[in-house]
Formats: sequence, structure tokens, C-alpha cells
Amino acid sequence: MSNFNAQVKGIPGLKRIEEFSRDQMGELCVEETRSVYPHEQIYGPYCTIEEYINCPPSDVFEYLADVYSLEEWTWSTRGLVEGDEPGLVVGWDRLADDTKIFCRTISNKDAMTVDYHCAWDQGKQLWMIYLMRVVPAQLVLGKPGSVVIWSNCHHPNYDKNPHPETAPKDRETWVGDLWPFFYAGHVVEMQNLKKILEHRHAKGQTIRPWKTTSSPAPMQAAMCK
Amino acid sequence: MTPISLKAIASEFPKTVQPNDFFGDEERRPTGGMFRGASLRHHMEPGQTAVELICAATQKIQDQVGGDLASEIDIILTNVSLPDLPFTGCGAEVAKSLGAKPMWVFDLHNHGCVSFISMMSLAQSLMTTSNAKKALICNVQTAGGRIFADQELRKEPQAAVPGDGCGVALIEVGDERPIEHISVECFAENASDMQISSRDNRKWWEPGASQFQIDFSRAKVAKVIQRGNRLVPDIVNKACSGAGISTDEIGTLVTNQPNRIFLRNWREALQVPEDQHVDTFEEHGNLFGAGIPVCIERAEKEGKLEDDSYLVLGGFSHAGDYAASAVIRWKATS
Repeated sequence: MSNFNAQVKGIPGLKRIEEFSRDQMGELCVEETRSVYPHEQIYGPYCTIEEYINCPPSDVFEYLADVYSLEEWTWSTRGLVEGDEPGLVVGWDRLADDTKIFCRTISNKDAMTVDYHCAWDQGKQLWMIYLMRVVPAQLVLGKPGSVVIWSNCHHPNYDKNPHPETAPKDRETWVGDLWPFFYAGHVVEMQNLKKILEHRHAKGQTIRPWKTTSSPAPMQAAMCK
Repeated sequence: MTPISLKAIASEFPKTVQPNDFFGDEERRPTGGMFRGASLRHHMEPGQTAVELICAATQKIQDQVGGDLASEIDIILTNVSLPDLPFTGCGAEVAKSLGAKPMWVFDLHNHGCVSFISMMSLAQSLMTTSNAKKALICNVQTAGGRIFADQELRKEPQAAVPGDGCGVALIEVGDERPIEHISVECFAENASDMQISSRDNRKWWEPGASQFQIDFSRAKVAKVIQRGNRLVPDIVNKACSGAGISTDEIGTLVTNQPNRIFLRNWREALQVPEDQHVDTFEEHGNLFGAGIPVCIERAEKEGKLEDDSYLVLGGFSHAGDYAASAVIRWKATS
């Protein structure tokens, strides 16, 4: 059996019950529990949002893991088609003029995680990473359906475009200029996701209609802006 | 520092009132966010001057305090958003019209929406280092009628927001209604984020056919909102702390009046109930620097300022280049 207490001894700054008492912890918790928190403190370095969706976790995962779902539930990602490399898709982010968005989807069915690795303008460095996790609501909320957790991290590239040479001429907007609005924007998209999935689940409709129609969505959507 | 007091305050407005349908067009009515329009706002009339508004408001102060104010004024400080004349400023003309012989006259063109607080601080410095006893602090917002009434420009959503008006305060040496603490900070890193632009891309002093406007790109709007949300609660906290009070003790909060969103966010952040936060946005729009004195007068007239309560002022200017706050103990005056 390892001696856990001995193993961490000497690491500065830890607060563990052996040295940091219940009273001390209690005082700290009272001190750190505020009535209001500044926006930047909560959504500055990271932006995580979450929502309950009344749709089975397997369906939610299947929907999210198909990158073409972005055409439905995002506010502005449109016209996705396969890119030059396997698994890489490219479309338009209509948030700004003439702006291509590249995306590679990495999902794990067992963990029910779906990560969209994206970038504006170029597909070589996919640094805008949307981390999604689907959790069975039965486990965490005691009711059917899913909880979706969605995180973005404030990569330094949000503050400075690392590939300005790939940007369309005269485009004034850079995606990172809008970081302060990510919380609000992502809530809008999460609500779209919830409404689409709850509607289809409630009506017994197929979750990914583009898989069953004769002409698949990617072809219909040919690079239109 | 010499103790100073806010002795009296008054406002004056141009007669012209513009309703919302004066602005925008069928497809571009202002709908929300930063540029959500007020219902009404005053506009400077052609030929009307900031000097006239200041003198009219000063007459109201004279009526309140009695005596011969003009002969007692030692300091005149003004901030006019778009001055009557370039180069000269209007302080000396105000002195001339009032028949005053002040020892100090300064026309400040920076500090925008928080210039009332900055001018209080400047008056206190001048009173501390000289034998000056009484100061007139004059804010006039003129950009509504002078810029945003323009035939073309008023189609832009932002044109509906500015409203014109004037607030004048009399500051005196003494502790009758003491200004307990003033905090003013400059954030130089934000200095270049408000620009003006015109359709023909000219400099504003160059001849041309199109009016200029204040330029916020979409990216800048996000940054300015983030800054404003942070700067104002921060500076109010600092001023309260300097005055030795907690923000729970704010009796009345008066901020600049840029738009509804900021007003809501600031009072939420400071946990000041809505009825203790003065709001004149609906009928006056964004009065820039005149917003704070006009709101103080409003609070006084509505009986919001209870004896021995704390009146707390706060705001930020332009795109966040300055933030300022002041704590005033509102004592009953004899």
C-alpha cells in the first residue's frame, strides 16, 4: 500500500485535511463563495456550458459525432464538404465574410466525447477545439435523456491570428475578437441542439435525416456562402 | 486635501425633442444591444451654444443658493462633447456671460462620460493648492443635434442613442455635503479603440460632404462591453473602499448612461437594487458627460437622496480609456 501522505509531502500549496483542517476549509469556502462573479473570471480563460436534452445519450452522441450536424445546430457553420485529407471537412463560417472553416472530428463512443478540431482559413493547424461530452442523464440527474457539456479553452491564437496570410483580404473580424461573446453565442447553439434533438426524439423521427435522403447534405451544400 | 462639498446641481436641455422614428429607416431600426435606442432624446438646435445651456443651468443654481454667485466663482471647468468652437473652449465665454472673474478656467476635452467626476477631482486639487472656494463644473453633450441629426447619419442604428443636455454643479470648500473619496484611472491601453470615421474617409477637419461618426467595429463592441462590465464595478469598489464604506452602503448609484445593458450589468455586479440606480436613458438617451450630473439632479428632485445616505458616482469613458468613481455623503443642507 502506498503512503499517499508521504508521496505528496514537499509539494507546496496543497490543501489536504492532514494539514488544512475542517475549520480552515470551511472558512475558505465561505470566503470564496460570492453572490456574483465577474464574466471574465467565469468565461475568460475557459468557456464551459452545459444543458439537459430530453433525447437518449446514444442518439445525442451519434448526432454530434457526425460533423454534418454542425450545419443544423450551429448558428453560422454552413456548406461543409470533404476536404483534401481523410476526415477533414471544410465549409464556411458565415460569422464573417468569405471565411472558410476547417474541421476534423475526433470522437470516442465509449466515453461519449466528440471533439471538433477546427480553424478558420486553413486546415494545417486545427487549434480551435470544441470539446463535447454526452452524459446519460439517468446517472447524473435521475431521469431519461442526456446532459451535454461543452468546453472551449482560450488558446493564444484567439488573441492573434497565427496565419494572417491565409485570411481573406479586408476581413476585419477575427474569431478571437468575439471571445467575450462565446458564452452567449454557444448558449444559442446549445439551445438549437436541444430543440432539434428533442423535437426529433419526441416525434420519433430519424436523428440524422441527411443519412436517409437520396441526395446527402454535403452535396446539396456545395461551397455556397 | 481640502474637504469639498457638492453644494447644488441643475440641468438644462435644448427644446428640440426627437422621437425614435426620426432615426433609422424601415430596414434598419435599432433593435438591441449596445445601440438599442432610447424613446426620446433632446437635440441641440442649429445656432444654439453650450455656453447658453451652461448659463441657463447656472441661473437655476443661483436661484437655489441665493447670494451673488457670479462674484464668488473662483473656478470654471467645462467639458463639452462637441465644442461650440475649436481652439478656444467655452469656459471664458461662460465667465463673460455670467459676469464672473474666476481665477481658474479650464475646458477639458478628454474624460468623456466620466468628466464630471474628473472635474470634481481637479477642482479639489485646485482648491487645495490655492485659496479658491467655489467651482462651477459644467458638462454639455452636444453631439446629438450637431452630428447624429445628419440626414444620412441618422439612418445608422447608433444615431438614436446620443441625446443632448447640460448639467452644472456648484462645488464648494467645506464638509456640508462632503465628497468622501474620488478615484480616477487612465487605461492607456484602451486609448485607440474609439475612432471616428466618415463615408468619404476624410479626416474630420478636412472638407467633405459626409458627416463623421463614432466607429465601433463588431470586434470592438465585444471588447468594449467586456471592459465596461469590468471597469465600472472595479472603480466603484475602489472609491467605496477609499471612502471606508462597503458597496452594501450605496444609497443611490449614479452612473453614466451609455445603454440599458451596461446599466443592468453594473447594478447587478454591485448588487444595487434597480430603484436605487438612477436611469434617465429612456427620455434622454446617452448624455455622455452630462449623464452623471443630470442623474444626480433627477435623484434629488425625486427625493431619492436621503439625508446621511451615500451617493456613489461611477462610469467609464469612450472605449475604456478612463474610469472614475466618487462617494458623496448626502447630508441635509440648511
